[in-house]
Amino acid sequence: MARSDVGEPQPGLRVGPTSEFSLFFRVKPGSEQSLRTALTDLQNTPGYRPGDYGMAIQTIHEARFVMFDDDTRLAFVTSFDGPWDAYMEDFFTSGPTLALFDVIFRHVEGYGGLPDLSALRAFVLDAEHVAAAYARNYPGTVKEIRKALRVSRAFQEVLDHPQAAELLQHPAMRPLWDEAGD
Amino acid sequence: MEAGEPVHATTSPALDLDDIQAGALYGRPSPYVGTYLLLCIRDRDDGRDLVRRLLRVVKPAGFPGSPDDTSVTVAFTYSGLKALGVPQGSLDSFAPEFQQGMASRAATLGDVGESAPEHWEWPLGTSDVHVAISVLSSDRAQLEAVAEKAREAHAELAGIDLIWRQDCYQLASGRTSFGFKDGIGQPGVEGSGRPAANPRERPLKAGEIILGYPDETGELPPMPSPEILGRNGTYVVFRKLHTRVAAYRSYLRARSRSRQEEALLGAKMVGRWQSGAPLSIAPDQDDTELGGDPRRNNDFGFADDPRGFKCPVGAHARRANPRDALDGEGSVDVRLHRMIRRGTNYGPMLPEGVIEDDGIDRGIIFVFAGAHPKRQFEFVKTQWLNDGIFIGAPLESDPLVGPHPESSTFTIPQRPIRRRLQDLPPFVVTRGGEYCFAPSLRALQWLAGLGVRDETPPREDA
Repeated sequence: MARSDVGEPQPGLRVGPTSEFSLFFRVKPGSEQSLRTALTDLQNTPGYRPGDYGMAIQTIHEARFVMFDDDTRLAFVTSFDGPWDAYMEDFFTSGPTLALFDVIFRHVEGYGGLPDLSALRAFVLDAEHVAAAYARNYPGTVKEIRKALRVSRAFQEVLDHPQAAELLQHPAMRPLWDEAGD
Repeated sequence: MEAGEPVHATTSPALDLDDIQAGALYGRPSPYVGTYLLLCIRDRDDGRDLVRRLLRVVKPAGFPGSPDDTSVTVAFTYSGLKALGVPQGSLDSFAPEFQQGMASRAATLGDVGESAPEHWEWPLGTSDVHVAISVLSSDRAQLEAVAEKAREAHAELAGIDLIWRQDCYQLASGRTSFGFKDGIGQPGVEGSGRPAANPRERPLKAGEIILGYPDETGELPPMPSPEILGRNGTYVVFRKLHTRVAAYRSYLRARSRSRQEEALLGAKMVGRWQSGAPLSIAPDQDDTELGGDPRRNNDFGFADDPRGFKCPVGAHARRANPRDALDGEGSVDVRLHRMIRRGTNYGPMLPEGVIEDDGIDRGIIFVFAGAHPKRQFEFVKTQWLNDGIFIGAPLESDPLVGPHPESSTFTIPQRPIRRRLQDLPPFVVTRGGEYCFAPSLRALQWLAGLGVRDETPPREDA
C-alpha cells in the first residue's frame, strides 16, 4: 500500500560522486552459523571471489559484510556512485542483487522475505545509519576508475614497445613522457 | 528489467478511462496548437464554481476522440487545492515535492543562476498559481472554440483571475526551435489503448502514470487521500523553458568546417538527426524517411553501442531515456524513470541560418505526467540530465538542456580520437514552472462539492 508511513531514506555522506551506505542488523538467535555459511557462499559466487571484480551492482566500489558482537549483529557497508536515496527504488527492484541478498537477509531479524517490496524497503531503511565521518582517497566513479586502469594498462604496453622512447619524443606526448619514467 | 520478469507478474486491473483526464495519459496531437492558462482563486466559492464549470469541458481518456484530438486538462497546485478548501490532512497526503512546489525544489532541480526562481516570469513559482489549464488541439478553430468555453468558465466569476497565458503552436518545420523533430518516444501504458512508440518496450504498468493501480514495483503508488480525490489522478509538472537558439547555432557554427559537420555535431548532442532519425540506426547521416517513420524511428536500443560511437552516452535523448544501455549495471531499472512527456513550442522560429539573437522569446512548454514526480521527473532531471555520474563523467551534463553552471564539456566518442566540445554555455533557461495534480473527473466533482455536501471539511485560510 502507500509508503508514506515509511520514512524518507537518509542519504549517506558524499565525497565527490560517491556516497557511503551502511546497514546494521540483528542476527536471528540460532542463525549465526547458517548466516556465516551464506556469507561464505556469497564470497564464492562468481564475481564476488577475490580478483573477480564483478559484483552484480556495477556502481559499487566495494562492499563488506561484518558479523560482530559475538555474531549477534551483521553490518553491510559499501560505497556507491550517485545518491542512494535517488536509487532506492531501483535497488529494491534489481532482481539479481536481491536474489543474492535474500539468502543473507533471511538470517537477520525483521526480514519478511521477497517479494514484499514495501516491507523490504522499511526493513532496509530501518537498518540504515549515516556515517559520522567518511573520507575517500581517490576521486572518480567506478566507471572512471575502470577506464583509467584500462588506459594505464594500454600505456604500459606502449612503454614496452622497443621504440617507445622515440615515439614519446613528440612535444604533444609530454604529459605521457612525464609519466613514463617509473 | 534485467531480471527478465517484473517482481509481481500480475495483470493490471483495467484502467478507468471514463474517469481519467485524457491529458493525464496521452501525448499531444501532431500538428498541434495549444493554450496554457493559469488562474488564481481569490474566492473559495467561485473556485468551486469554476471547477463545476470546467467539468463540462474536460474530456475523459475514454471519450471517443474527435478528429482534431482536442483535449482540455485541468490541474491544481498545492496552493490551488488549499484555496478550494481541501482539508489539511488531505493536503498533507500528497507527494512532498508537490507540497513544496517547484520554486522550492530549484536548487535540487538545477534551476540556479539565470534559471533561478528570482528571475522567473511572474506568476510562475508563486503561491498565486492555483489552477493550470491546458487546451491542445490539432485544429486552430477547434482550439479557440474550446479555449473560449474554458474562458467563459472563469470570466463570469469575479473571484477568479486569469493571471498568465501562454499560446503554443507547432512551427512550420514541425520541429522544435532547435530544429529537431520531437514528441517521438512516448511509453505505452497498460490499459490505455495506445501502443508504445518503441516496439521493444513493454507498456508500463498503469500505476507508473495513474494513481490507484499497481506500478512497476508491483505496488500501488502513494496516493493522496481521500481515495476519491487521489484515484485516477496523476501528477503534472509544467516548465517554461526558453531556448537560446542563436547561441546554439553559433556554438555549432564556430566548431564546424561545413554544414554537414554542423548537422553532425547537433545530432551527436541530441542523439537524433533533425528529422528524428536516431543515431543508433543512422550513425553517419540523416535519413528523413527513417525520421518520419513511426514504426522505425523508435525501434532501437543502445546495448550494441556501449561506448557511444554511434550515439554518445551523454547525448540528450540517451540521457533522457537510456533504454537498454544500463541494463547490465544492476543498480537501475529504467522502467522506474519513464513518463508521459508533452513538449509544445512557443514563439516564432528563428529564421533559418540566423545566428544573431533577435531578442524574441521562444522555447518549449514542457509537460510531465506521471504518478511519481520524484523518481520520474526529478530523477531524470537530476541524475540523468544535470549529472554525469551514471555515465562515468561526473563533470558533464546534458549538452542541450543541462544547466552548465560552469563551462561544461561534451564528449563525442569517435575513431581514432574522441572529440570533446568545450565551454558549453546553457542553451536552455528555465522561465518558471509548477508541480500540479490533475484529478480524475470524479475528484473534480468532489472538489466542486467541497463545503456543499457537508460541513466536515474544516475551513482553511487560503
